[in-house]
Amino acid sequence: MDGFLRYYDHFVLPFTVGMLVLFTVIIYKYVRWFVRMPKEDRRLVARGIFTKKTAQATGEVACEALGHRKIWRVNPTLGYMHMSLALGWFLLIVVGWIEATVHFSGELTAPHTHVFFKFFGPTSHPTMTGKFINFMMDFLLLFVLSGVALAWFKRLRSKALGMRRTTRHTLWDRVAMTALWMIFPVRLVAESAASGIDGSQSFLTGAIGRWMVDEFGIAQVFNISAVAWWVYSLVLGAFFLAMPFSRYMHIFTEIPLIFMRRYGVRSGERASSFDHFQIEACSQCGVCIDPCQLQADAGINHVQSAYYLRDRRYNRLRREVAENCLMCGRCEAKCPVGIESNTLRLNSRSRLNDQPAEGRYEYLRGVDGSCGEGRTGYFAGCMTMLTPATLSAMEKVFAAAGEDVWWADRNGGACCGRPLRLLGEIAAAQRMTDHNVELILRQGVTILVVSCPICLRAFRGEPRLADIEILHHSQYILRLVEQGRILMSSDTMSYVYHDPCELGRGCGIYDEPREVLRRLGTLAEVSQNREHAFCCGGSLANAEIDSTQQDAIARTLMAQFAATDARVIVTACPLCKKMLARHSSRARVADISEVAAARAVAAATP
Amino acid sequence: MSVNFGYTISLPRAVDLDRNDFSVALRVLRRLPELESCIGCGGCTATCTAGAFTEFNFRRVQTLVRRGEYGGAYREMNKCMLCGKCRLVCPRGINTRAVVMTIKRELGTGY
Ligand code: SF4
Ligand code: SF4
Ligand code: SF4
Ligand code: SF4
Repeated sequence: MDGFLRYYDHFVLPFTVGMLVLFTVIIYKYVRWFVRMPKEDRRLVARGIFTKKTAQATGEVACEALGHRKIWRVNPTLGYMHMSLALGWFLLIVVGWIEATVHFSGELTAPHTHVFFKFFGPTSHPTMTGKFINFMMDFLLLFVLSGVALAWFKRLRSKALGMRRTTRHTLWDRVAMTALWMIFPVRLVAESAASGIDGSQSFLTGAIGRWMVDEFGIAQVFNISAVAWWVYSLVLGAFFLAMPFSRYMHIFTEIPLIFMRRYGVRSGERASSFDHFQIEACSQCGVCIDPCQLQADAGINHVQSAYYLRDRRYNRLRREVAENCLMCGRCEAKCPVGIESNTLRLNSRSRLNDQPAEGRYEYLRGVDGSCGEGRTGYFAGCMTMLTPATLSAMEKVFAAAGEDVWWADRNGGACCGRPLRLLGEIAAAQRMTDHNVELILRQGVTILVVSCPICLRAFRGEPRLADIEILHHSQYILRLVEQGRILMSSDTMSYVYHDPCELGRGCGIYDEPREVLRRLGTLAEVSQNREHAFCCGGSLANAEIDSTQQDAIARTLMAQFAATDARVIVTACPLCKKMLARHSSRARVADISEVAAARAVAAATP
Repeated sequence: MSVNFGYTISLPRAVDLDRNDFSVALRVLRRLPELESCIGCGGCTATCTAGAFTEFNFRRVQTLVRRGEYGGAYREMNKCMLCGKCRLVCPRGINTRAVVMTIKRELGTGY
């Protein structure tokens, strides 16, 4: 207790109050969010704590929360800015704590004694280790200041850091940001003044301190010091006070998020308390804004993940913001925090649109448009019915392979349910899914080939179908070729491949379609491919944009294909095919099944 | 005793544009102005996944709503599976799924 009071000055009060509020609010929030999480999620956490997942999460926290490794990958300058602030500040606290603890020989002192150590303790130490610590503290301060300078620069000219837009801020954000930007310059002044008074020799604060004494005289430096320590404590206090209500809450929230994610907790299609951890872990860095085609092509500037998450967090989410998104996942693929923004958006939509579905779709009772008897099933889906070329291509492939097929929806079938789900009508979607699952299970197929990536995702997410191997037709065709069940001839035709969002980012299928095309001819690539591929604009997740906006999005995609000299643009989704065909002037647009079937012949019977 | 000859006659009815309440129709059209450009071709209905199994006619329901005839519209639109085929075939590029969602939202369970 003695140490608490021996080192005290009134100026520490703003800091102390801010810090107490900060930790009280954070602990209150985390405990509240955690206890309200579904029981199964809390059980996942309890089961994971004493496993190696905890160690892995700790490593990830060091890499991401301190080092900001993923931002480095997207944008190195931005990565340096975040790292210098986070890692630099963290090390300042750690080294400062060591310095103070050694000086007070382990005596229990209040936190402010460590934070304002250069005020309460000596500014420099004569020993070798002491000199090293002096150097480290100055060096770290310089490191953080370089990040702050970059942040100032970014605010002035966001283009300079390779970002077209910075996110718009709330009042709390502004308070916290202004305070944060002042903390380190003011700290530099305060510590320099103290060093000047003490006659410290360190390279930064010592040098500036000596210069201050020479320039203004020692009496003035005493005044500067008195004011600067007050201001330093005030800005620290202001930052801590504003932080839990501002976007800077992400600094701490990323940590529990990383741990819980390692334990297997995820957001779902219905909102849960866990969502808070994701929403408040968003740093509003804005990395997700540039990749969004709604912004780049359709001029829609208020719906991107950064804005959506901010609006939801402050309880001012409008229906249109939740619903105006292609759910293409381009932003999610780039988010350095790994926030599941599409899943969150989905559960915002279900909150808006989900309603009990009893009595709906009674007309589906007894509907069965299937035919055939094979153990290999084929589900075309609604959209494939609109691209009959895909259907006849698959017929030809099955015939060449001699496959006995059960056609699930040959004479008409229900939608897979995912389109309803994407607009938040979860209960209604479930009725569609149930109908199809019953149909498929009744037939007892072992493999289900699906032509539409939207249906593919619907069925792959269905636990009752876990025993059935569910393949996209591109995977199935490649398998037939590799097993030698069909032969495909190649020639000099040139192809370029478009990754459909639901197939690529949605199901992780990038290589199989490309492998099929490589066996047919030459394959060109565009720069925005695989997980960065553009959306075709036709996404069923967006019922907000009109056809002009859809067209603008499709044109961007087509422009990059036109830049290659490929003669055929190939895709693997009936919806993408429709959108692409509308906008192609020169090249032919085809589904992968069509180009493969045109060259497929039955392998000679042994 | 009346004999049922298997012929039915539709009830005499007419859409009375002077009496109908257009508030919902106007809100739907404000949200989706392109709906005004529907040429009534019926492409949407011809391709409709739900329409293959039940008496559901997207063209008819949305046309009646635009005329201020809301009876049964919510119940009918609830038969839609939102599969999106109609939007792809519509020659006027009408955002048909949004038409379904908006009409359901405007009318609610009362219809
Ligand atoms: S969602 Fe991710 S990328 Fe977007 S602002 Fe938040 S943290 Fe940054
Ligand atoms: S999912 Fe696609 S459309 Fe939606 S915000 Fe992200 S990039 Fe934009
Ligand atoms: S397809 Fe389009 S234009 Fe034709 S009736 Fe339907 S909504 Fe109207
Ligand atoms: S979205 Fe609805 S109205 Fe349109 S084709 Fe599908 S089921 Fe029919």
